[in-house]
Amino acid sequence: MTAALVVDDLHARLGDLEILRGVDLEVPFGEIHALMGPNGSGKSTLCHVLTGKEEYAASGSARVADVELLGKSVDERARAGLFHAFQYPVEVPGVTLDDLLGELALLADDPEDFWRRVDEMSERLRMEPFRARAINVGLSGGEKKRSEMFQLAVLSPRAAVLDEIDSGLDIDAVREVAEIVESLRSPELGMLLITHYNRILRYLRPDRIHVMVGGRIVASGGPELAERLEAEGYESFQ
Amino acid sequence: MFDRSIVERRLELDPGWRRRRRLAAFERFSQLEPPSEREELWRYVELDFSLGDFELPEGPGRPIETDAVAAALAPVASIRVVDGFGADARAEVEGLVVGALAAHDGTTPSPERAVERAGIEPDDHFAAAHEAFTVDGAFIHAARGTRVPGPVYVDVQLTGSGIAAFPAVVLHAEPSTELPVVVHLRSPDGEYGFAAPHVVVLAEDGAVVSLTILQEWGSEVRAVGRVRFAADRDAVVRFTEVGLGGRYARVRLDGDLVGPGAEADVVGAYFGENHQVLDYRYHMRHAAPHTRSDMFLKGAVEDEASSVFTGLIRIEEEGQKTEAFQTNRNLILSKGASAQSVPNLEILANDVKCGHGSTVGPLDEEQRYYLMSRGLSAAQADRLQIRGFFEEAIARMPHHALAPIVRERLNRKFVEAQEEGRL
Ligand SMILES: Nc1ncnc2c1ncn2[C@@H]1O[C@H](COP(=O)(O)OP(=O)(O)OP(=O)(O)O)[C@@H](O)[C@H]1O
Ligand SMILES: [Mg+2]
Repeated sequence: MTAALVVDDLHARLGDLEILRGVDLEVPFGEIHALMGPNGSGKSTLCHVLTGKEEYAASGSARVADVELLGKSVDERARAGLFHAFQYPVEVPGVTLDDLLGELALLADDPEDFWRRVDEMSERLRMEPFRARAINVGLSGGEKKRSEMFQLAVLSPRAAVLDEIDSGLDIDAVREVAEIVESLRSPELGMLLITHYNRILRYLRPDRIHVMVGGRIVASGGPELAERLEAEGYESFQ
Repeated sequence: MFDRSIVERRLELDPGWRRRRRLAAFERFSQLEPPSEREELWRYVELDFSLGDFELPEGPGRPIETDAVAAALAPVASIRVVDGFGADARAEVEGLVVGALAAHDGTTPSPERAVERAGIEPDDHFAAAHEAFTVDGAFIHAARGTRVPGPVYVDVQLTGSGIAAFPAVVLHAEPSTELPVVVHLRSPDGEYGFAAPHVVVLAEDGAVVSLTILQEWGSEVRAVGRVRFAADRDAVVRFTEVGLGGRYARVRLDGDLVGPGAEADVVGAYFGENHQVLDYRYHMRHAAPHTRSDMFLKGAVEDEASSVFTGLIRIEEEGQKTEAFQTNRNLILSKGASAQSVPNLEILANDVKCGHGSTVGPLDEEQRYYLMSRGLSAAQADRLQIRGFFEEAIARMPHHALAPIVRERLNRKFVEAQEEGRL
């Protein structure tokens, strides 16, 4: 059985700035992993390099369900099964979520099934009022994250990287987002959840926790690792 | 062609109010040179035509068939102005008069008052030519208190090659009226023609006038358009122009907020392709307290097309407690395309709220990246972004029945450029 996401000695630089310095990571199907690390350690960069943002020069390997991502365009990676919930979801003025869903339906294998899923998920995530509004425009922090989770839910990816979907949320919203993530756990999907806070880890059960410092994974372990981080901070890992 | 003998012939048929204007305009026309790029109001454009290239038609050509616009609007009244000649007026609303300007016979209200208050002065070569050589146009009058329940459709056409037409559209909204009007400018592609449409609006106390110009001139038309309105106390003028056609298409707007509490909402959306030049000179004058104006124009250019927006908000000393905003955003979609965007403010009052914003740039990379991360191709993502770009203007347009057509025709230009591999 291959893993949902395999990252192998991944390097990325931005001009002269080396940000990722050999990241190794594996998220099997059916699992949820957490990625923690200090500000500026490269967590979001990892997400963008996986997604294929042009400005980063990447080398190494990153595979979703055995499909190599590097060298592919952003949309090809998405269609290979990668989903990236943005730390800062981009506003798209004048384009409604339904406009986007309409385009995505054109790409779906079974558009009817896609719309069924859209309706089911928009009810469950209380997204109905946002579907006719411009994407991310004027949404609160929590609403933006919920919109990202909604898109994750309807797109049925094979690997998802969730970049700080709990930041800036009140405690109820954190629990809600965590429950959504946990409910999406399936043998078809592996998820990597980036977070700074243990509180979200109370509501979902990560199988493993990885610690990134200075563009590398410096420690991996079970849930107990989060408690050690809480107690000691990142210093002992540097 | 453009000489005194024509003017003499026109004078014979003119009603009294016109004669004096026509003569004065011809005097000015004889003195004025064609505009040059050195003049502030003509900066950034180089005209590739002159009036002498065209002839004044003896009568109207064969009208172009009605299209989807008339059907979508379900107008309560309509009139056609073909090659400058008005015909086929129809109005079924009590208190509303729609007719050809030249046919005005004294039994109905006269255009004189609206023209006196808001008429376009012969202040440049083309405006003087219009006032000197115009034959006809449409006159639309709403009597005090009349609420016109649907749009009046004015179908302004240029039917042949080598023709110069000077159609006029005069709107007079008496106090406490509601008058929605859609002016459709169109002609066949490929025919070299000239049009100088003049649209004049008088909105008296408390009147609400919504005027949309849907500009769909054929690909070889040179058009020098003028729009002027005067808004009295608490009147509201909503002016929209959608610029799609023409080789060179200019609109100069002079908005005059002359009564306290008068308001103007000006919206624009334009898309230039091939060698199109779309040229907007929008002036808004606040001459009374508590007036409000908002200009919001969005444009895109691709291929070798260019666009110009120069906006001027002038607030006179009397214009205390006014609010005035102007926004012009432009997308440059190809290397050879260009856009000028120059907002200006002239403020003589000290208690006002003003703002302006202007941008010229390519499609947004972040938006494209985000949409592609959901699986959309770059082409799909860009189509959505363009749609969203214009949607912000379309949402502000007053004639909702027109929105699907405006949306479709703006976006179609982008999709065609994509499909033809130009983007
Ligand atoms: N586009 C960029 N331009 C300049 N610097 C960048 C860019 N992208 C990343 N960096 C730099 O790379 C480093 C890693 O940034 P990244 O956003 O990946 O950190 P992070 O781990 O996600 O941090 P945080 O926890 O604050 O979200 C930082 O020093 C950041 O400033
Ligand atoms: Mg980050």
